[in-house]
Amino acid sequence: MTEVVLAAVLGFLFAVGTFLVLRRDVVRVVWGVSIISQAANVYLITMSSLGGAAVPFVSAGGADAPATVDPLVQALVLTAIVIGFGTTAFALVLTYRTYEEHGTIDMLELADGTEEAETNGAVATDGGADE
Amino acid sequence: MAVNLATLLAVVGLPFLAAALTPFVYRFLGERTAYYAAAVALACLGLVASLFGTHGAVSVEWIPTLDVSLRFYVDGLSLLIATLASGVGVLILTYSGAYMHDEPGQAKYYAALLAFMGSMLGVAFAADMIVLFLFWELTSLSSYVLIGHYQRAGPSMYASRKSMLITVAGGLFMLAGFLVLHAVSAEALGSATWALFGDGGILMPENAAAMQTALADQGLLVPVLALVGIGAAAKSAQVPLHIWLPNAMEAPTPVSAFLHSATMVKAGVYLVGRLRPLLGGEEWTAAFVALGLLTMTVAAILAVAATDIKELLAYSTASHLGLIVAGFGFTSFYGAETGAFHIVNHALFKAALFLVAGIVAHEAGTRALNELGGLREDLPITAGIAVIAGLGMAGVPPFNGFYSKEFLFKAAWEYATVHEGVAFLVPVVAVFGSIFTFLYSIRFVAMFFGDKPDALGHVHSPPAIMLGPPALLATLAAVVGIGGVTATFGVHLEPLETFVASVIQATGGELGGGAHAVAASGAAGAAAAGSEFTYHLPTSRESLPAATMSAITIVLGAAAYTEYDALHARLDELISGPLTANYYYDGLTDGANPFSDRVRNAVQTRRLRTYATWTLAAFVALTLGAYAAAEVTLALPVGELLPVTPPKLAVWLVLALAGVGAVMVVRANSHVAGVLTLSILGFMVAIFYILSKAPDLALTQLVVETLVLVIFLLVLDRLPAFYGNVTRSTALRDGVLSVAVGATVAITVLLATATRPDSIASYFVRTAYPEGGGSNIVNIILVDYRAFDTMGEIAVVSMAALSIITLIALRERGETQ
Repeated sequence: MTEVVLAAVLGFLFAVGTFLVLRRDVVRVVWGVSIISQAANVYLITMSSLGGAAVPFVSAGGADAPATVDPLVQALVLTAIVIGFGTTAFALVLTYRTYEEHGTIDMLELADGTEEAETNGAVATDGGADE
Repeated sequence: MAVNLATLLAVVGLPFLAAALTPFVYRFLGERTAYYAAAVALACLGLVASLFGTHGAVSVEWIPTLDVSLRFYVDGLSLLIATLASGVGVLILTYSGAYMHDEPGQAKYYAALLAFMGSMLGVAFAADMIVLFLFWELTSLSSYVLIGHYQRAGPSMYASRKSMLITVAGGLFMLAGFLVLHAVSAEALGSATWALFGDGGILMPENAAAMQTALADQGLLVPVLALVGIGAAAKSAQVPLHIWLPNAMEAPTPVSAFLHSATMVKAGVYLVGRLRPLLGGEEWTAAFVALGLLTMTVAAILAVAATDIKELLAYSTASHLGLIVAGFGFTSFYGAETGAFHIVNHALFKAALFLVAGIVAHEAGTRALNELGGLREDLPITAGIAVIAGLGMAGVPPFNGFYSKEFLFKAAWEYATVHEGVAFLVPVVAVFGSIFTFLYSIRFVAMFFGDKPDALGHVHSPPAIMLGPPALLATLAAVVGIGGVTATFGVHLEPLETFVASVIQATGGELGGGAHAVAASGAAGAAAAGSEFTYHLPTSRESLPAATMSAITIVLGAAAYTEYDALHARLDELISGPLTANYYYDGLTDGANPFSDRVRNAVQTRRLRTYATWTLAAFVALTLGAYAAAEVTLALPVGELLPVTPPKLAVWLVLALAGVGAVMVVRANSHVAGVLTLSILGFMVAIFYILSKAPDLALTQLVVETLVLVIFLLVLDRLPAFYGNVTRSTALRDGVLSVAVGATVAITVLLATATRPDSIASYFVRTAYPEGGGSNIVNIILVDYRAFDTMGEIAVVSMAALSIITLIALRERGETQ
């Protein structure tokens, strides 16, 4: 069945995540990515039939297959949660290391710093990135 | 005799395998890798030799759903090209051993040469249009790598880009032609096929006539001719697409000798010869005779204007390829004889001449024609090779090039006498072009004679390893030439003549001109049309016109040679600006450069937000565009929300709290506040999992959420308080993109949940206990059915952990080493 409420909430979460990804603060970018991946997981679970069906367990005999929710989706999302954890932790430590190296967690300053470091100034500064 | 599939797979696959192994071999053998590569080429030559006497098609399934197979076909023409690719390959790779001494990038060089040889063998044997196209483009790719061998040199980069653009673009034209053929074959033969040969192949004698009739009926004969012709012309450097070939001389000389004279440029004429039985007719003759003779003449004139010996040879190559194209353009038996025999002769004398040019450049240190002279004193053997090969190129009897050029004259004369009127221009142009051929050939040979310029100094003798290959090629060329003399007295060079006859048969021999005669010329008719091939000095009455044309060429050429320097200077002056094809090529590419720069500057700002903006905007546009294209209807069944039940209410409440958490993350005025509100979102998602009957997910989510919170707090402790205040205009702009992304996701969820796709879930539910031995289905999937996924997941987590250790703990160590 069409999940109107979930559609609204997921759309909202993606919008918030996108907004955060576009920020100058690296920590906020990490938050944004984290929110988007959470929302993606919720979306997948939404697809595995919300109401009605049973928890994906079979009785020991396994003779009669009950009408459970889709266990395959759950297995996929479980993998996704763990991998999301790995990438979030990595992104955070990368942020920390970036701060150690460059003394800033401002995306704008980081980009400008790289630009000055490069000898060829071929890269223009316009591109809609003047926050 | 039937063809052995294993042999064919081996001969095409071996060079690629050897190319892949080259970097390792180079580590052990160093510069002697040349001999490893030559040994591979020799093995290929042996395999090709074992195919002689066989004939037919074999195939292995490749993409059955698209009816694409690895089809191979062996006949005279494919054996000719394959013998050239592997045979000249052996010589070139051996020669490289000395020539490339102390040069950079040798592992890459030999790997690319071997890969090229494999691709060329693939082109020769391919009997499927897709496979042919694939190998065809692979030769362009390896040619790109080899022309750009000196990666730091500007001219080298310019040359490789140019050849890549022209030959690959030509290949795409050819592909378009193949697509048309594929489509037409559905109607002509009952089912669409990619096969050239084998069951239902469009070039099979019984199918060719039906194909040609269908093409003509649908008015597609000329378009196919044009598309395939452009592909062949780009590859075989036909005017005006010849411009990449002289630049390609930036490559090391062995590459020029191998790819750009003996083999790769023959792919175009191979295609013309291959499709001659299918497309041959009046339009065919008009197109290819005109193209070939134009190229032959223009390129010969350009060769006279050339000042560099390799440039001269490059233009000369284009000119001789024009001669071959013109030969295949004629539908007469003489035409096929010209094309088939000149491929052999040209490969022999031109590869030898390139290697001579390599020796001269290597030992004399210059390639400028006006700085070279009197080299015969220091390089007597090289001079001998140059004389034999050069006179063959000039078409002087009794050297090898004379005989094939004689066939061209015969074909041209016969065409003129049959068609009369304007057709007499054909032999005139042929003679006119040949005069220039004679001129530059003699000029090339002349650098070995006359006085030696003082500036040249002493020229060293080349090492034997560099002298052997061209000497062998020149000897073969001489044998072909002498074979013509002895044949005049009745002693024929049987193996060569039989072989060339089989090539002629493969290219259709004498075509009747009409659609129906084509079929006859294919199989049974080939014998009737006269598959005998002999060549000898002109003695009979009917060879009188052609012999006269040769005589005119040589006499006028010799007379004009006395004025060579004046002619050269005059032409050099004349050929510039809008008269050259380069003018247009450079104008086009230079014109495109500012645009490329603008695109790059807009897309690559080194800022994450620019990249994210482009990526997300593209995601929105593509997704919504696809929905619009598929004309999906969006239902919004608000009525389904009722009646509100307690379970529903619980889900809504949890989701609402998650949304509030998300809002708070954005509004957080400190990092710590943001992280804590992010946790609210995470824990709400965990509760959502419980409500969605996913207890395992909820457990995992709770653990992960707790860990993430701890890590965030640990890291934030070390980071400065920075929040990057947002201005109103930026917030508005980002807001628009965010809303667009959100709306796209919402629409996607609505569409996706409206339907219930087929699920394979019931399989797992049914088999989890009997086969997996557990009652928790999710666990069984993770550790049993999809255990490999789980292993990948563990690998990702361990990789993240290792990277974190590297980033934090090994910082100092990494910096100091």
